[in-house]
Amino acid sequence: MLTLQKNKKTGGSAVSERPRTAAVIKKDVRKNWFPYLLAVPVLIWFIVFCYGPMWGLLIAFKDYKPLLGFSESPWVGMKHFIDFFQGPYFWRVVKNTLLLNLWGIGFGFTAPIILALLLNEVRNKMFKRTVQTITYMPHFISLVVVAGMIHIFTADQGIITQALQWITGKEYSSLLGYSYLFRPLYVFSGIWQSIGWESIIYLAAMGSIDTSLYEAADMDGASRLRKMWHVTLPQITPTIVILFIFAVGGLMASGYEKIILLYNPLTYDTADVIGSYVYRRGLREASLSYSTAVGLFSAVINFGLLWMTNSIARRKSEVSLW
Amino acid sequence: MNIRIFAKRAGLLAAVSTLAFSTACSGGSEAEKAPTEKDEAAGKQEQVAFKDIGSDIRGSEKPTQQQIDEVNGTLNDTYLGDIFDQPIPSDYSAYPVEGDVTLDVWMAAPAEIPDMNKQQVQDQVEKLTGIKVNFITPPVGQEADAFTLMISSGELPDIIIDPGRYPGGLEAGLNDGAFIDLTDLIEKNAPNYNAWRTSDEMRRKTTVTDSGRLLGFYGIAPYSEWMWFGPLIKKEALEKTGLEVPTTIDEWHTFLTKAKEVGYTEPLNYGSSYGQIFTGIINGAYGVWDWTFMDADGKVGWGPAQPKAKEYLATMQQWNKEGLLNRDWATADFNQRMATAISDKTAIMMDSPDTMWSYWKQQNDIDFVGAPNPVLNEGDQPQVSYKNFMRTGSSAAITTQAENVEAAMAFLDFGYSKKGWEVFNYGEYGTVHLIDADGKPYFPADSYIYKDPDGQPVATTLHKYRVHDWPNIRDEHHSNPLIVAEGSYSGDIRKTWTEEMDASVTMPPITFTQEEASREAELGNQLATLRSEYFAKIIMGELPVDAYDKFLQEAQKMGLEEFVALHQAALDRYNQR
Repeated sequence: MLTLQKNKKTGGSAVSERPRTAAVIKKDVRKNWFPYLLAVPVLIWFIVFCYGPMWGLLIAFKDYKPLLGFSESPWVGMKHFIDFFQGPYFWRVVKNTLLLNLWGIGFGFTAPIILALLLNEVRNKMFKRTVQTITYMPHFISLVVVAGMIHIFTADQGIITQALQWITGKEYSSLLGYSYLFRPLYVFSGIWQSIGWESIIYLAAMGSIDTSLYEAADMDGASRLRKMWHVTLPQITPTIVILFIFAVGGLMASGYEKIILLYNPLTYDTADVIGSYVYRRGLREASLSYSTAVGLFSAVINFGLLWMTNSIARRKSEVSLW
Repeated sequence: MNIRIFAKRAGLLAAVSTLAFSTACSGGSEAEKAPTEKDEAAGKQEQVAFKDIGSDIRGSEKPTQQQIDEVNGTLNDTYLGDIFDQPIPSDYSAYPVEGDVTLDVWMAAPAEIPDMNKQQVQDQVEKLTGIKVNFITPPVGQEADAFTLMISSGELPDIIIDPGRYPGGLEAGLNDGAFIDLTDLIEKNAPNYNAWRTSDEMRRKTTVTDSGRLLGFYGIAPYSEWMWFGPLIKKEALEKTGLEVPTTIDEWHTFLTKAKEVGYTEPLNYGSSYGQIFTGIINGAYGVWDWTFMDADGKVGWGPAQPKAKEYLATMQQWNKEGLLNRDWATADFNQRMATAISDKTAIMMDSPDTMWSYWKQQNDIDFVGAPNPVLNEGDQPQVSYKNFMRTGSSAAITTQAENVEAAMAFLDFGYSKKGWEVFNYGEYGTVHLIDADGKPYFPADSYIYKDPDGQPVATTLHKYRVHDWPNIRDEHHSNPLIVAEGSYSGDIRKTWTEEMDASVTMPPITFTQEEASREAELGNQLATLRSEYFAKIIMGELPVDAYDKFLQEAQKMGLEEFVALHQAALDRYNQR
């Protein structure tokens, strides 16, 4: 009733506005029909693969059995959520997930920015391209192979183990057996994997900086370091902020593949994250509902974080996603 | 000759002579194929009477092409002997199956077989049964995910090999409508399986559910297979230390210490990331079994919660501190573990003698001996928590989407016939196996198994020219080339272990109801994580032995009692079967 009345009241103005908006859109589509056409496949992709499956989230509240089908499977309410929250390892996996991702933001997020800044200063094109190619390459190596390499390098007599022994003067067995080393190993191997690839976007942002800014800085007698600090960095800040918002929005996300390839009972207390826990508990037993419930929980928290970071960013720097 | 065998042979002779008189077939003196009781009772008509070719095939080392074709291309099994306590059934009335039948079979194939649809033995089975088979095989290493995806898709093949993968087990699969109940169909459509599984009480008991239903075709051996896992000592280490094979924990300690002195820097290869801290070998001496076990009163217990656990952990922590264990036991993968095994660091492995025969002896010429599991006090009988309840190989279930259930059953039933026993275990006649004078198949020295034309090792040919894991009558002791190869002593080690060790603590193959299964999985998962973590950390020295008390408290808080009660209930039901 209330909404009805409201509509009636504002009806007049809405009617007078609507044709105008519609006309604008219509005109725009006619004028720019080709870009619109290009966007259609992406829209369909989103509808089919992102919005379509969303109603499947309902299985988080059911005891889903594939052969019984979606509608036949019995409702169980919040059972799977309660199972997860009351599980003996709930706090540990949440804490590990957050810490691992914070480490990731602290080191993994800044590393490609630094690499891009340094590469931007390199004038020798040959050298720059060589470095870029070498740093991209690990991105194309399969994760299983990467994990195998980590296993070999951190084994009892592996080169990383020996290097660490040489630096610290202490004796180490296989490094993957120390729970306090798991996060550094995970995060720094991650940086090695992705630093080149992730620096591309920053390099692209730097490429579009107006050269007159640098000329002006030159006139003022700024050193290279000063130019980097006062020209390059502020110019790519919007890119950094946007990517940072995404990174914070992924704080509760956790891929399990690399974890389960690297962890073992000795490192569970730092390595076991939501993803690996659900893998052991949910996927191995094919408990699809349970996995969905945990996934939904993580997604909700992630969305909250994303929204929060975004509003802070909007207020502080006027750069934001929406 | 002992009395039993004599009596058996005499009985056989009587049966043979009756048959010889009644059918008056040529070469009757060699014939051994007496009709089974069941056939007579059912009054099976039109069982094709085969020409007895026993005298030509038995003992022949150079069969003619015609003979080879007859053995490989027909169902004639008159040359095969009855070498087990119970004769293997041979009802071939269903073959060749009429009409054009193609079955889809989902199966996780061994990595050694690039294309299951071109597997030699399966091709032969297709010809003999007249049933075409289309194998659906998931990528190696992704079997579990592929299975889940297949079930989730709702599109099922006709037959699923290893249907126990279904979450909650076979019975859950039946309740969810994935598999069909075979209870009323087995007798009619799978006469060989039916006769074989009922010919022995243990076979009957392990292939039926608590509620008396028959849900699948289980691989059933003619005997309980030897245990396959235990301590193995390099012969050289015995010579260098000048010590006997150790039997008690104290002797083990002495042996390992001495071995370290003579140059084996990490004498005991204790385990790796794929989990061999818990093998029941050393912990078993303390009664701290890996998982559930059955105590002397037939009650279920949980190994890690047993009274001597602290003693076991203290000993292991001490050994680890003294450098008697491989340093990377918690993290090494299979390749790293085997690399250490063949190096000069290792004196003792805890693994399968078949595997080590391949890695140590065949590939690196390292001789070894088997040792019994250690005991605490001199003179105690070593114990082991592994026993094979004649259930071996693989299993199969027929899905609700199978169009021709009869054909699917006939196809699976072939594995339980005499011809199937020969074909699956010993492969093709002529190139792969021959038949000895007693009618028993064997691999001659120049068999493709040992001398593959493509040059592949035995570990591969054992999957290529025969079938190792299948719902059938698996004859491991006579047909696993790693055991029967000339010079291999892995079979002897396994046999000695089986004979000398007491396996009464072993849990029989129990089953859970659907509700129980999901609770059992949840609790089991949490307890396994807890156990792995605490035990590994205590042995590593990262936690003191007293941390065990906290472990036990947490285990109880998680629901250890409920977990054990679930197993007890399932065991009670098993005993009632």
